[in-house]
Amino acid sequence: MLSDSIIILKKELRRIFTDRRMLAMLVLLPLLMLPVMYSVMAKMGASRDSEITSFRSTICLYEGIGNETVMGPFIESISTINTELEIVQLSEVEAAKLAITEKEKELLIVMPDNFHESLVECSTFDIGVYFNSTADYSQHAYSRISQVMASLNGDIVRERILERDLSEDILTVFTLNEVPMQYDLAKEGSVIGKIISILLPFFIIIYLFVNSMKVGLDTVAGEKERGTLAVTLVNQVSRLSIVIGKMMSVMIAAIVGAASSVIGLIIGSKYFMGMFGASGAAISSYSMSTLHILQFAIVIIPLAVLVASMVLIVSTFARNTKEGQGMIMPVYFVVMIMGMATMQTGDVPPKWMLSTPIINSLLVLKEIFIQGASWSSITTACLSSIVFSVILIYLTLRMFNSEKILFRI
Amino acid sequence: MLRVENLFKVYKNRKKNVTETVEAVKDVSFECSPGEIFGLLGPNGAGKTTTLRCISTLIKPTSGNVYIDRYNVLNDEKAIRSRIGFLTSDMKLDGFFTPDYMMDYFGALNKMSKDDIQLRKDYLFNELQMSDFIHKKIDKLSTGMKQKTAIAISLIHDPEVIIFDEPTNGLDVITSKSVTDFLKKYAQAGKTIVISTHIMHVAEKICDRFGILVEGELKEIGSLNDILENNSSDSLEDVFFGYILPGSEGEVSHAQ
Ligand SMILES: Nc1ncnc2c1ncn2[C@@H]1O[C@H](COP(=O)(O)OP(=O)(O)O)[C@@H](O)[C@H]1O
Ligand SMILES: [Mg+2]
Repeated sequence: MLSDSIIILKKELRRIFTDRRMLAMLVLLPLLMLPVMYSVMAKMGASRDSEITSFRSTICLYEGIGNETVMGPFIESISTINTELEIVQLSEVEAAKLAITEKEKELLIVMPDNFHESLVECSTFDIGVYFNSTADYSQHAYSRISQVMASLNGDIVRERILERDLSEDILTVFTLNEVPMQYDLAKEGSVIGKIISILLPFFIIIYLFVNSMKVGLDTVAGEKERGTLAVTLVNQVSRLSIVIGKMMSVMIAAIVGAASSVIGLIIGSKYFMGMFGASGAAISSYSMSTLHILQFAIVIIPLAVLVASMVLIVSTFARNTKEGQGMIMPVYFVVMIMGMATMQTGDVPPKWMLSTPIINSLLVLKEIFIQGASWSSITTACLSSIVFSVILIYLTLRMFNSEKILFRI
Repeated sequence: MLRVENLFKVYKNRKKNVTETVEAVKDVSFECSPGEIFGLLGPNGAGKTTTLRCISTLIKPTSGNVYIDRYNVLNDEKAIRSRIGFLTSDMKLDGFFTPDYMMDYFGALNKMSKDDIQLRKDYLFNELQMSDFIHKKIDKLSTGMKQKTAIAISLIHDPEVIIFDEPTNGLDVITSKSVTDFLKKYAQAGKTIVISTHIMHVAEKICDRFGILVEGELKEIGSLNDILENNSSDSLEDVFFGYILPGSEGEVSHAQ
């Protein structure tokens, strides 16, 4: 029985793994997808950043009345930024605002009249900084100005304190985490795991499904269409063997896709995760232990069987590949939404998710990656996949024995 | 010996709660002896494919039975399958594989040993003059070569009965001398061949006996001479069209 399935499986695998185009679709695509995506995102982000920082922004400054003698430090501070400074008169303030709205100029700084008096009296005065939040250059100049102004504020306060013979320490009551220590007590490597785990379930389910479709729709519906299925059925192998053999080939294609995308995700993440805020040390220290790989396999293999059986039952019902594609699309969307749902569950996913097949497996895979899935949740996920697969395979077999479905016109 | 006995096939399809019944085959009986090439003739929708699928165990008769020697399709599916080579000529083999590999694959599906497969391959490749292209991808082959490949595959397990459904695409091949010669030789070696077609001159070329199937009923059965005599006609084509063109039946069969 099983040896018959192997005959079918061998042929299907030969079809998959000796065809370069097929291999590219099934292995290379999921493997390279994420690293390429990351590097393109990182490159684009980096070049945009450097463009913004090297941009020479135009800042308009209204100095207010009577402040000539005290403007020095302010202008000095502003000049530390890469900027073209334009001093404007009161009458030109509105025009400058309009220019900022139109993204022609980046900032307008309006000093209050006679703030030199406030300086002397040590009372608070307000400086207006007008910007445009929809213009990247303006936004950037605004945040830079905020920084230099804050540090100028600090310098002036420090001067005042020293003038009064006080220690500048009175400014700081306490600091937080300034002593060099490892404050993040997450398990070694789990930080990067957490970051990867956000994308992981989604990509796993997508490639399980995409690869299953690529192989699974052709393997039955395609053979029906080509007329080779009938010839295969007039042979000595049982229909169960045929179903199992084809199921295994679809499952292998699915797992190959999922594994490739996981590897791609890890490679991509190691090199490009910096932009998601993980420290270099956390990234390079990440690796999966043998136990985790084992747990991963225990969950993902039944899941791949389930996905493969979903595709196979559609493939068996459909008259041809095209009809099969039409039928599988709604299923694909539902599964995709399931994958997305697992992206934002937080640490304690709602109960219904844990008892829904596919979703529970994805959540467990995610947990394994953050290095802490309980054996009970692993077993639950694995069993629910198996139960549903068995039901689907049973139904597929019923269809294979039904001439009404096999020779549907 | 192939024997079809009172074969009925009724398709029931439910479409939007209405059950649609098609009586595709009605009380069809015929026999083919070893050494014989039998032509099942009939227009589109006559029930040829249905009949051949019943013989090949792909579908179950609604009533009646099909026997090959002492086995029948109702009780001995496996035994029947091992004795049948089934071929629909609009079958498209996966173009990715080579004829040689396909022979290995279908040989394995028929539980043949590697040695048996090799012997059979040598014989068939030689007889059908295929040696030049057995290691080329099927994609790269001409229609004729593809048809030869399909024929070779259906014969890998040396079946006693060959079922050949509508060789429309392979017209040129089935009439090509190498293939007709081969099929005739194959029949003479004691095999039974059943070919269905709606194209008369193909049938006339190679078949020894004919059955004319119209709307699921076998209207005529016998050798070319028997049928022509019965209908006092001088061409099979006239007899055939007499049945399928309504109203013209009398005209044709009583010409002369
Ligand atoms: N699976 C099926 N379901 C319903 N009707 C069918 C099915 N297969 C064939 N038929 C009908 O049975 C009749 C005979 O078809 P078929 O055996 O394919 O004829 P032929 O091969 O001579 O063209 C046709 O009317 C066809 O529509
Ligand atoms: Mg037909």
